Amino acid sequence: MTSRVRTVVDRVVVGVGLLLLWQVAHMAAGTYWLSSPWQTLQRLGELAASGELARHAAYTLRAAGYGFVLGGVPGLLLPFLLRRLPIVSATIMPFMVAGYGLPKLALAPLFILWFGIGIESKVAVVAAATFFLVFFNVEAGVRALDLKLVRMAQILGASEMQVARHVILPGAVPFVFAGIRTATPYAIGAAVIAELISSNRGLGYLVQLGASNFDARTMIAAVVATTAIVVGANSVVNALERWLLRWRPRSGFAAGAASGEF
Amino acid sequence: MTARRTVLAGRVLLLLGVLAAWQWGHWALGDLFIPSLLAVLQRLYEVTAGGEIFGHLAITGEAAGLGFVIGTVCGVLLSVMLRLSSRLALAIEPYVMTSMGIPLFALVPLLILWFGINMAPKVVIGAAMVFYIIFIAVFAGLRAVDGRLITMARVMGAAPLQIVRKVYWPGIQPYLFAGLKLALPRALGATIVGEFLVGDRGLGFYIENARQQADTVGVFTGIVIVTVVVLGTDMLLERLQARSLAWRPIDRDMVA
Amino acid sequence: MEEPLLRVQDVGKFFPPRERNAQPFWIIRGLTFTVAEGEFVTMIGPSGAGKSTLLNLIAQVDTPSEGEIAFRGRTISSPRSTVLRPGFDRQIGYVTQEDNLLPWRTTLDNVLFPLELRGGADAQGRARAGELMAAVGLAGFERHYPHELSGGMRKRCALIRTLLYDPPIILMDEPFGALDAQTRAQLQEDLLRLWSMRRKTIIFVTHDIAEAIVLGDRTLILSRPPTRIAGAHSIALPRPRDVHAAARQEGFAALHDAIREQVR
Repeated sequence: MTSRVRTVVDRVVVGVGLLLLWQVAHMAAGTYWLSSPWQTLQRLGELAASGELARHAAYTLRAAGYGFVLGGVPGLLLPFLLRRLPIVSATIMPFMVAGYGLPKLALAPLFILWFGIGIESKVAVVAAATFFLVFFNVEAGVRALDLKLVRMAQILGASEMQVARHVILPGAVPFVFAGIRTATPYAIGAAVIAELISSNRGLGYLVQLGASNFDARTMIAAVVATTAIVVGANSVVNALERWLLRWRPRSGFAAGAASGEF
Repeated sequence: MTARRTVLAGRVLLLLGVLAAWQWGHWALGDLFIPSLLAVLQRLYEVTAGGEIFGHLAITGEAAGLGFVIGTVCGVLLSVMLRLSSRLALAIEPYVMTSMGIPLFALVPLLILWFGINMAPKVVIGAAMVFYIIFIAVFAGLRAVDGRLITMARVMGAAPLQIVRKVYWPGIQPYLFAGLKLALPRALGATIVGEFLVGDRGLGFYIENARQQADTVGVFTGIVIVTVVVLGTDMLLERLQARSLAWRPIDRDMVA
Repeated sequence: MEEPLLRVQDVGKFFPPRERNAQPFWIIRGLTFTVAEGEFVTMIGPSGAGKSTLLNLIAQVDTPSEGEIAFRGRTISSPRSTVLRPGFDRQIGYVTQEDNLLPWRTTLDNVLFPLELRGGADAQGRARAGELMAAVGLAGFERHYPHELSGGMRKRCALIRTLLYDPPIILMDEPFGALDAQTRAQLQEDLLRLWSMRRKTIIFVTHDIAEAIVLGDRTLILSRPPTRIAGAHSIALPRPRDVHAAARQEGFAALHDAIREQVR
């Protein structure tokens, strides 16, 4: 109990220290270069009050959400399909690996060229980035499938469909979540990048808007808001995962973090 | 054996299919959307023969390399520090986790404000990208080192430095290498995306500049080069890793 | 002559050689035995004697390279079998070395799983599951997940999962192998009690001679590979048997020695 209290105290001390550091840097550099924590908060308040923050955030989240579904759903289903088609699977795997290795964000200019500076190009970037992340995580799950459990279910009289429903699907859930957990911050990040390159709305645009006005307050406020959204989305996914996977022994912080992608 | 041949034939067919789809797309959609294969090949020849692309490559490589080194050093240092003090690890955990949520590229405009339009913003982005990957990999590696092995080494009279060299180092090697392998292509990718946003040279600049001039051939050529460079680096590292860690079975999914 | 419930006739199984031109490795060859309805047969053999391989062949998880396996006079498995039917349409139950419980199902849901696969568990099935769980001391753990149970409890759960759907014959592959002596004796007692309620046909593989004697009506001794039957003993100890006192009973020591001589 005392060690827990100590941890809380430590964390507060570190947090206050970081804020102080920010404040000192601000005082040394000036508002033009770095707005103070208070100024940033004020600017966030202004943006929130005027409804601008919500408008831009909604745009970014919409792009991330559409792209997530567009890329994530095929990435989720394909491994299950390929499980039954080993030859097809072996044939396309090198292409998938290449697609995974490729920096999808580098395709952003191409998508902007194709789809214009509207939401479509952002959705395309997010979908391209999400697809491979989800695909490879789920694929690992389908591969790691415990064959003994499949066999046992068959011995107990399970049909092909029942094996899929009762053994393969629940067994893959942790991996599906690993994919979703990895892809969530990535999807939001990808939408923001596409907006940074070319857009007239969204959180990425808000950062660029601040930059073009040499307004550090707006830039930092937009970055803080985006970070908060990513952290919020992460905790929603984590809570959902904890609930769906309550049958699993609890794993530590490092175990979860080790499968992350940033 | 026949299955193997089928797979190989399938791969060749698929590759041809992709190229055919590209060419068909060109005919169907026109030059502005998809340039012809031939035009891209020609441009590839021009930029390599003329040497233009190597200047861009060198700039990108330099920024990525610098970011890679800085990020790796910082990542290793932090993970070792946290391993030495679990109190420190607990204290900063929520902040490290939160900082992972920062959209790195959104910092680019701010970095431009601070450092100007030069290499620094890209190096910072690349370093930050690498930092998290290495930090997580090495931290996991340090945790995975079996405490009983350390006790055993102590019982046998090993000095602290010997424990580091003989127990920790071999233990974290697979994690570190897996992290490095993941990080180098990422650093390249991050640098290129950074160049979309800032700079007047480099592969990313080449692509984004072509886009702004509606030079579709240029965009495609740039992306083909990025693909070759990144996947080439990836494959090279895979070879290296396979050789240096031949003594132990490596779990490919350990970090990725 | 009456046809036995299970007949294993000249069964052999080899694994293809690693290198070309090398000899195939016959893990089992020329193995023959029968099991009568209601009989509790124990099998004992040195480690590596292909015990699990044999059970896999009977359960139709694998096909034999030669010979045939007949169930109620009908050939169910031979080298010509093209389609494997694991468990032979729920006629053959199999309790494996590992418990193989589905980790995402609670204890009760794991036990009910085989019923659920056939249209769901009715009130009668649920009542029987409750009875079985109580009989092996799992009452109160219905809502626990497998990872929250001890190794012995998981084994009990796997055991009654198979008993619940009542296959005519049950194969058991060292089900109590990895447990401590205390838990093991407890489970042997549980198994004997459950068996005495409905005399199921059981083939029980073990590497523990005492276990083979305490549980079985008859024990078969397997040789080293290529494995065949190296000996057979009827066990005349009266039932019901007391797991803890069996070793002091008349005839136990002599039988134990005789079997140990043959298990090489």
